[in-house]
Amino acid sequence: MLTGTVAIWLRDMLILRRSIYSELVAVVAYPLTIYLAFGIGMQGYIGLVDGAPYSLFIAPGLITMTAVNAAYNESVWSLWFHRRVQFTIESYRVTPISVSEIVIAKILTGFTHGIIKGCAVGLVIFAITPFRFPLEHLLQYLLFLIPGSALFSCAGIISGTVMDKPETIGKVEAVLVMPLIFMSGLFFPLSSYPPSVIPWVRALPTTALFEGARRALVTGELAAFPVLQVSLSALVAFVAAVFIFRRKMAE
Amino acid sequence: MTLPSIVTRSLTKSYGALTALDSFDLSVEQGTIFGLLGPNGAGKTTLIRILTTLMNQSSGSVTIEGLDTLSSGRAIRCMIGVVSQENSLDRYLTARENLELHARLHGMEKRQYKGRIDDLLELMGLAGRQTDFPDTFSGGMQRRLVIARALVHQPRVLFLDEPTTGLDPQSRRAVWEYVRSLAGSMTIFLTTHYLEEAEQLCDRIAIMDHGRLIASGSTQELKDRLSGATVYEIEFAEGEGERYAVLLGAMSCSRNISRLGNKVTVTLEHWECVSEIVTALHGAAIRRISLKERTLEDVFISLTGEKVRE
Ligand SMILES: Nc1ncnc2c1ncn2[C@@H]1O[C@H](COP(=O)(O)OP(=O)(O)O)[C@@H](O)[C@H]1O
Ligand SMILES: [Mg+2]
Repeated sequence: MLTGTVAIWLRDMLILRRSIYSELVAVVAYPLTIYLAFGIGMQGYIGLVDGAPYSLFIAPGLITMTAVNAAYNESVWSLWFHRRVQFTIESYRVTPISVSEIVIAKILTGFTHGIIKGCAVGLVIFAITPFRFPLEHLLQYLLFLIPGSALFSCAGIISGTVMDKPETIGKVEAVLVMPLIFMSGLFFPLSSYPPSVIPWVRALPTTALFEGARRALVTGELAAFPVLQVSLSALVAFVAAVFIFRRKMAE
Repeated sequence: MTLPSIVTRSLTKSYGALTALDSFDLSVEQGTIFGLLGPNGAGKTTLIRILTTLMNQSSGSVTIEGLDTLSSGRAIRCMIGVVSQENSLDRYLTARENLELHARLHGMEKRQYKGRIDDLLELMGLAGRQTDFPDTFSGGMQRRLVIARALVHQPRVLFLDEPTTGLDPQSRRAVWEYVRSLAGSMTIFLTTHYLEEAEQLCDRIAIMDHGRLIASGSTQELKDRLSGATVYEIEFAEGEGERYAVLLGAMSCSRNISRLGNKVTVTLEHWECVSEIVTALHGAAIRRISLKERTLEDVFISLTGEKVRE
């Protein structure tokens, strides 16, 4: 049933494999710069945040950020490119596979990019810091990273489906995606927000993702609610992405 | 008596207020090469997109090999090959990988598609470039690769949307040759706005404009539908052209006189007028008289009242 999905996903993985080194260098450079500048450079000025050294405080968020950004970017640009520039989506659509198989393949590809690039940044950060985490913390962290990457991959698919112009995609990323990531407790604890705002910020799935992922990794404290919150958001985004893509293709 | 391969009935498609296809009725015999001729914006791509299940019609119906496009999309896509107007090649895959991906999307196993792809690359003259990326190919080679891709799964109906638009004359001829070599083995439906292409390749031709079918038939049938008028080109000796053009223009059976230097082109009501003309031109210094062959372009102009918009 999913032969089309597998074929397209394998195609995307072949392309990723061909450029993996340059992609990884590019994708690691950004969070690593932030880590060195803020985590190490500013550490002495910031001290402990929520009981942890600042470099430890931001490390999980930087990994999560890399993963979800990579998932989002891959999905949004790939969908736009294959739909509007290369017309490859159209060449898939005249074969027996269904439209759903195509969109699921693209979601999987974005998700895979997120996981691979997130792990790459994680490895680099762990290589240059003294922090070590028990295996179960890492596994719990994955409980966030997996649905988180899926969520952002689906969001990217939706953006890449509804937006026809590259400028629009750039703008949405600047005014929506990046602020959403930065405001979700990546660089500062939620307690820095005015008390009246906190419930609103907490309601965001990105907050559940960044906060929950950090706790899981740093303290090993696994809260079921944020995991569910992120997973459920990913599920809703998946259904929405498939629906929106199918509707667009039926135009 | 073979079943028709493609049938449309009162096929209509609107984009908002614009009617891109208007009650289109068409029937294409199995195993023939059918050419849909029309200027830019006539609705050719719209029709191909509906026939290939990429788009739904607003009303009317389509069957491909007896199957309805609305209810049997998947089964239809199994047996059609599509060369879209844009090349739609994957520039991150090599020529061969492009074909392999397409084969897999058709559910083919490696042992099924390997030899088939070898043959097609050979047939299309691309075997030597199979590990190169298509963006290093010329326009003609890219087009041939797209055609090869459409043939990987051995379709019964092949759709080509303006297969040679934008190609130089030599590449165009090469594409024609490949298409001709497929004749008989499958139904071929192609669109074009080149009259010559339709005339060279197609068994039957339909002419459309503004979403409507204007005429259809074989090239000869379409030419026969022109009025009985015949066109002669008469070349006079130096300096004589103008005088005789005036003389011919004044005659009752001549219509539509035009002159270019010493060449006068005259349209005659019917062939009986020829002797009258010969009498009138008695003693004139004539270098050459020729009967102009009617072209599809003449057919097109007489049907639509305008030249083909490029
Ligand atoms: N997606 C669309 N939305 C609105 N109008 C369209 C769309 N696609 C085509 N058209 C219009 O429909 C008409 C027929 O277009 P098309 O089928 O592409 O013609 P052709 O392929 O013969 O050049 C044109 O007037 C074109 O502008
Ligand atoms: Mg067209």
